[in-house]
Amino acid sequence: MIAPAAKPQTVYVADDSTAIAAGANRVAAELSRLPNVRVVRTSSRGAFFLEPMVEVDTPQGRAAYLNVQPREVPGLFRKKPVPLARIPFLAKQTRYTFARFGENEPLDLAGYGFRAWQKAREMSPQQILAEIKRANLRGRGGAAFPAGIKWQTTADTPTEPKYIVANADEGDPGTYADRMILEGEPYRLLEGMMIAARAVGARQGYIYIRSEYPAAIQKMRAAIAQAREFGVLSESQFDVDVVVGAGAYICGEETALLESIEGKRGMVRYKPPFPAVEGLWGKPTVINNVITLATVPDIILRGADWHLSLGTETSKGTMPLQLAGQIRQPGLVEVPFGLTLEEVIYDFGGGLPRGCRFKAVQVGGPLGALFPARLLNTRICFDALAKAGGILGHGGIVVYDDQTDMVQLAHHFMEFTANESCGKCTPCRIGSTRASELLQAVLDGDAVPEDIALLRELGDTMKNGSLCGLGAMAPAPVLTALEYFPNDFGRRL
Amino acid sequence: MVTTLDAVLTRCRSSPPNILATLQQVQAAFGFVPLEHVPRIAAHLGVTDADVRGVISFYHDLRTSPPGRHIIRYCLGDSCRAKHTERALTALTRRLRCDFGETTTDGRFTLTKVYCLGHCALSPTMMIGEETYAQLTPRSVITALQNHP
Repeated sequence: MIAPAAKPQTVYVADDSTAIAAGANRVAAELSRLPNVRVVRTSSRGAFFLEPMVEVDTPQGRAAYLNVQPREVPGLFRKKPVPLARIPFLAKQTRYTFARFGENEPLDLAGYGFRAWQKAREMSPQQILAEIKRANLRGRGGAAFPAGIKWQTTADTPTEPKYIVANADEGDPGTYADRMILEGEPYRLLEGMMIAARAVGARQGYIYIRSEYPAAIQKMRAAIAQAREFGVLSESQFDVDVVVGAGAYICGEETALLESIEGKRGMVRYKPPFPAVEGLWGKPTVINNVITLATVPDIILRGADWHLSLGTETSKGTMPLQLAGQIRQPGLVEVPFGLTLEEVIYDFGGGLPRGCRFKAVQVGGPLGALFPARLLNTRICFDALAKAGGILGHGGIVVYDDQTDMVQLAHHFMEFTANESCGKCTPCRIGSTRASELLQAVLDGDAVPEDIALLRELGDTMKNGSLCGLGAMAPAPVLTALEYFPNDFGRRL
Repeated sequence: MVTTLDAVLTRCRSSPPNILATLQQVQAAFGFVPLEHVPRIAAHLGVTDADVRGVISFYHDLRTSPPGRHIIRYCLGDSCRAKHTERALTALTRRLRCDFGETTTDGRFTLTKVYCLGHCALSPTMMIGEETYAQLTPRSVITALQNHP
């Protein structure tokens, strides 16, 4: 009698482009060479400091081999894997939007299930709108505007057709949550858009993805093709196309993004009219960030009360924070709003790598404030950060060590704005160039104290006189650098 | 088979005309947007030459001269800055003997700067073609070049 073949061992390796940069493909290739091993490619948990991870099933749940090198693969299963429950970085998170990350296969349509959509199609559009509004879902892209109000405005505007646009131009350096959703659970975004479309009466959607994300573009297109093939989209009487950006930070601003979809220069539009009334090709358009739309399925499935039960008084729900820079455990941390910067940087991020000393943390991308150590007790929510002169933005948290020169950094940010300004309004177009020149003069030792006063005045003009958030917020890192790290400037004057 | 501009343009029919999408197609076919094609592109779309040139000059991705065989997208984002990416960058520009926006004399690499590739957890990073290189050091940045002859 022939012995029955041993059941193949299933192992899970992330198919996320950061994990791949860490070597996940090479590890997966080695694993698939082993006899009786089945390799399943999943989304990544976002604990990138542990990638490449090789996960296995155990009676107690998933366990993982960490930082696996291809040459370790042949002897890998002789070692004992670490139960995920014993990795505090993961175990201490409150995951909803990213709950299935590390377990789902990104393009497995049946596995995704579209349960929130099934519930939403039994609801009337007004019921959906009421639920999103009651949940107090605020935009996760940067402006923190209530999504429900945008949706209601579009629904109430009689013009046809209407559009749903997903802003996947994740341009803020230091952020990668959108990229992870696009690559790891593209159906979640699609489902959020389908629900939005039902709520406002839209038939067509667009996902605007930056060209720096080739893997995300490919995954999202494949997911849309599957959803079309299996009738998910046609059943919802909605269709979606991917539009690829062309390398312009300003196209993350909603009106510039609409111009770009229309094929024009990404110039910011005057508001009003708001996109919800006159958006894409002049038609009513809901435009939301990827995380915002990806939060919608859970609100529909679990109800607004669930969303209201998490977070702070004015920032409800969870936020996927993205830790980066000089930090020991960089990765994605989904937690309810309201934790302090210190808790996130030290309890989750593990503090700075050995030998590095903390100097500053920047929250919310290149337009966010630079906070010194004494402000690490600031709570991570829309209002506390705004009160401290900053923004939560898209949830990027970048830590800088004491080798960082704040004048160089401030110059870098201003140069960034000068490079990326669309040029429509004078404060941003000219202001960023002049501020960048002033900072260069400080760097060259050619500046006098009056130049610093001029820099502050220029910052004030940009803040109050710019047309959109880019010009208005660009001075924040420079002004906070001046305020909290005056010695870096002073010693050069 | 040599792609002709007409073949590309016939694929780009949309109403209203989409300048950016058309230019992206042209660049995909030729590797860049040859400026001598601008009048024909504009005529095809029913817009002015200035409209087309305006879009070309706005977007960092669009090029008007042929790139090298491999395009390096070097990240200057916040996280890479925090990880002192200038150290690896100095090693790279010394080896390539070219700066951002330039192509090596042998036509092998074009060096471009980007603000963030979304791999901030493993900064500093760059892409060569579609391949991502993470946790760059002055040494690994040079080794990476060898994978792209």
